[in-house]
Amino acid sequence: MSFLLACPNCGKRSVYEFRFGGEVKQAPAADAPEADWMDYRFNRANVAGVQTEWWFHRSGCGQWIQAVRNTVSNEVLESFLPGERG
Amino acid sequence: MKFFFRGKSIEAKAEDTIAAALYRAGQRIFSRSFKYHRPRGLLCVSGNCPNCMMNVDGVPNVRTCITPVREGMKVKAQNAFPSLETDFLSVTQHFDRLMPVGWYYKTFTHPAMWHAVEPVIRKAAGLGEVLPTLPAKYEHSWMHTDTAVIGGGWAGIHAALAAAERGDQVVLIDDQPVLGGQLRYRKAAGELPAGAIARLQNAAGVKILQDSSCFGMYEGNLLGVLQRNPNEDTTERLIHLRARHTVVATGAYETPLIFPNNDFVGVMLSTGVQRLLHLYGVVTGKRAVVAGSPPDAEEVSADLRAAGAEIVVIVDPGQIVTALGSCKVEGIRTSTGSFSCDLIVVCGPRVPNAGLVAQAGGKLQWSDAHRAFLPADIPGNVSAAGDAAGDMQPNAASPLSRDKRAFVCLCSDVSGKDLCDGIAEGFDQIETLKRYTTATMGPCQGRMCQLPAIGVCAHETGRSVSDTGVTTSRPPNPSVTLGALAGSSHHLVRRTPMHYAHEELGAVWMDMGDWKRPRYYKRNTGAQEKECVVLEHKSVREGVGVIDVSTLGKLDVRGKDAAKLLDIVYTHRFSELRTNQVRYALMCDQGGIILDDGTISRLAEDRYFVTTTSGNLDFVHQWLQWWLIGTNWDVHICNVTAGYGAMNLAGPKSRDVLRKLTDCDLTSIAFPYMACREAKIAGIPALLLRIGFVGETGWEIHCPAESAEELWRALLDAGKKFDIQPFGVEAQRLLRLEKRHIIVGVDTDALTNPYEAGLGWAVKLDKKDFVGRALLSRAKEHQARESLVGFVLKGTGLPKDGAAVVVNGQPAGRVTSSRFSPIQKAAIGLAWVKVSEAREGTLIYVRVDEKLAPASVTMRPFYDPEGLRLRQ
Repeated sequence: MSFLLACPNCGKRSVYEFRFGGEVKQAPAADAPEADWMDYRFNRANVAGVQTEWWFHRSGCGQWIQAVRNTVSNEVLESFLPGERG
Repeated sequence: MKFFFRGKSIEAKAEDTIAAALYRAGQRIFSRSFKYHRPRGLLCVSGNCPNCMMNVDGVPNVRTCITPVREGMKVKAQNAFPSLETDFLSVTQHFDRLMPVGWYYKTFTHPAMWHAVEPVIRKAAGLGEVLPTLPAKYEHSWMHTDTAVIGGGWAGIHAALAAAERGDQVVLIDDQPVLGGQLRYRKAAGELPAGAIARLQNAAGVKILQDSSCFGMYEGNLLGVLQRNPNEDTTERLIHLRARHTVVATGAYETPLIFPNNDFVGVMLSTGVQRLLHLYGVVTGKRAVVAGSPPDAEEVSADLRAAGAEIVVIVDPGQIVTALGSCKVEGIRTSTGSFSCDLIVVCGPRVPNAGLVAQAGGKLQWSDAHRAFLPADIPGNVSAAGDAAGDMQPNAASPLSRDKRAFVCLCSDVSGKDLCDGIAEGFDQIETLKRYTTATMGPCQGRMCQLPAIGVCAHETGRSVSDTGVTTSRPPNPSVTLGALAGSSHHLVRRTPMHYAHEELGAVWMDMGDWKRPRYYKRNTGAQEKECVVLEHKSVREGVGVIDVSTLGKLDVRGKDAAKLLDIVYTHRFSELRTNQVRYALMCDQGGIILDDGTISRLAEDRYFVTTTSGNLDFVHQWLQWWLIGTNWDVHICNVTAGYGAMNLAGPKSRDVLRKLTDCDLTSIAFPYMACREAKIAGIPALLLRIGFVGETGWEIHCPAESAEELWRALLDAGKKFDIQPFGVEAQRLLRLEKRHIIVGVDTDALTNPYEAGLGWAVKLDKKDFVGRALLSRAKEHQARESLVGFVLKGTGLPKDGAAVVVNGQPAGRVTSSRFSPIQKAAIGLAWVKVSEAREGTLIYVRVDEKLAPASVTMRPFYDPEGLRLRQ
């Protein structure tokens, strides 16, 4: 794994500067069934394709960002600050 | 120049490689083969084949044909006993019938059998020996460029020049000591482009890396480059090179011809002969037979004749029957007769060196016209140039052989017969044939054997070469030393501000993550750990002790919404915490699993001081940041861990010590348990938290890091009269265990919720919402499966961490921490047991030294269960 990830603050950087933060997903409502919470906490979609995910720029700006990445080719299609998708 | 080979001094010229100097000095056998221990001599002289690998200054598997001589270097052979000329294990070739292709898959089918023979086979089939410590030094570096050109031949030079003249930053990577590629040793290929080389060397923005190999192309246009001897002190440097565009101008390499005994010492590739002759002035034989077709055969014959060698005959490769001799070439038998000679020069097919193109996502496609695999479908960020792109003269047809002594793969002694046997056994696809026979999987990584292996496979299966296809090109190729991949051995070490004061006190160090912490203090040279820890324990329980806790994670959280954030991420309610109060802080994830614990002190309405466990600081910091996303809350989090030193002063006499250094009222009425104050201690501004991890009256004192050592010394000074003792992590672990205080990550794991760990009191389910609430509210109602309990061992011994708990002969849990308690005068500990056993006084068994020892369960702290002492 050696792809480049564009940090919205710092620009294109080696992926080793980042900590992977998992898939971006919606937490269930507080009173949702336990099964929904278990699914949210323990299961992953693990798609072979495009997914949106969290990354933390550990060796850079120290901010959480989101990136849209193809998990097969490691091509990063888009990256942005949370809530600021273009 | 001189170097040593097997203890003997060898003369060398300045530009010599080790192999050239040895050959000139008369050495002909350079190694013994992997399986049959057949003698092998120089073949390719270009760093591709495995034949010249030796041990150089302790480093195994060095390709001596491309390694320059250094004064005084020590070279020795490997995989040969007792010597290269006489190797007892060469007897194995007479038992080849017992070792057919895939013999270890067929023979060692039982694990016990394999385990018995593995050490013997490993040694016999060794590729050199790795020393536990190497004298070699390695380093890493990072580079970026517009254009990277791989290869320093005619194509590479001109590609680099064109890019530079266009204004690009250029890095040129050449595996030779000087530019020129094959033009340096093949006079017939043309003149060295001296003008272009000079322009390139003087061009702005051009960096030329000689003696450097590109071993792979990775995602994001990352090239792995290995630079040999970049400076006096460094053996190898691994360069991570990012290039916008890569030009693969790696040329073509010559490969052997396949005929019986084609591995004899004295069979050499024509380019090997030319390299030795034109680069090092070494004439490789007196009487040579040249096997090849024009124009290559004529070119090398002319070179040898000019150097004074006799060309006995030029034979067509199709006419060869076998090489003659015992292990060194004495002649050759062909369909037209036998000839005596001391050198067989083979002009083999040339293979475009285009593996990098395949790694970049391109293809290697068979060309019937060239009789070679040429790069195709090259991705946009890569180009190929010169021979590597197929811009070369077509190869002549080359014969194949099914003989058991016609070696296709020199690295692991795979013959034409072995390949045919493998195909007959059903491994008739090139990728499975490769895995079964290990052809193309040795040190040459297929450079010498891929083409003939594909040829044999195609011929035997009746498929075309194009349909047979090519094995996948994967990095690293050429091979890279593990030392270069590992790089230099820098170990990050963090020292607390009081580090050197601890050293004066005789600290015995332990590593906790990157931190160095005193495990205990060795008060005199003969002292044992056990007695030191007992002394430290006793002074905290009966007098006063002080421990450095600077490694605690420390976060300054402020802003008018700081309370809101802490209420969300911690299970307790911090908005209600009054200023100047401290509270235990427990953090869970959304599954209700314990993530971290620490304390939170409210210093002002909008300012909190948060501590975390040493190892979890970064995680907790990032976790807090994550929960802030999208809230628009006014919260600022600052990591102040390195900014503050911290120490915990504890024991019944701690107040007496501290009183001497501060005006702050320390009475329990003015400064009660779980309160915090900002005050000056010995003139140093400090934050005091009245908390008690070790279970005694005590203060955790935080102060600016630059004053921490001064404050530490002031405490020890003031405490002299009370016989104050510094204590280390080991005593602290014992003290906290007596209080049943847990350590997250030691006593808890990735499935522990607070109710099971006995921390249910720290979870405020009546809070509207917080991380983990949804599942914790359910966990509270469910019957927990396991419970963390204390135990007191009856009898002697000390269970190890992780020791099994047994009830009624069945596994029933595990020990997480255990120490001998001087207070209980018995071994005590924490253990996970089934909820049914989690009752006061239940008898359980704990494994101690391979035996089961009885222990009784307790649900209360082992020491001062009411917690009166820390409130005093």
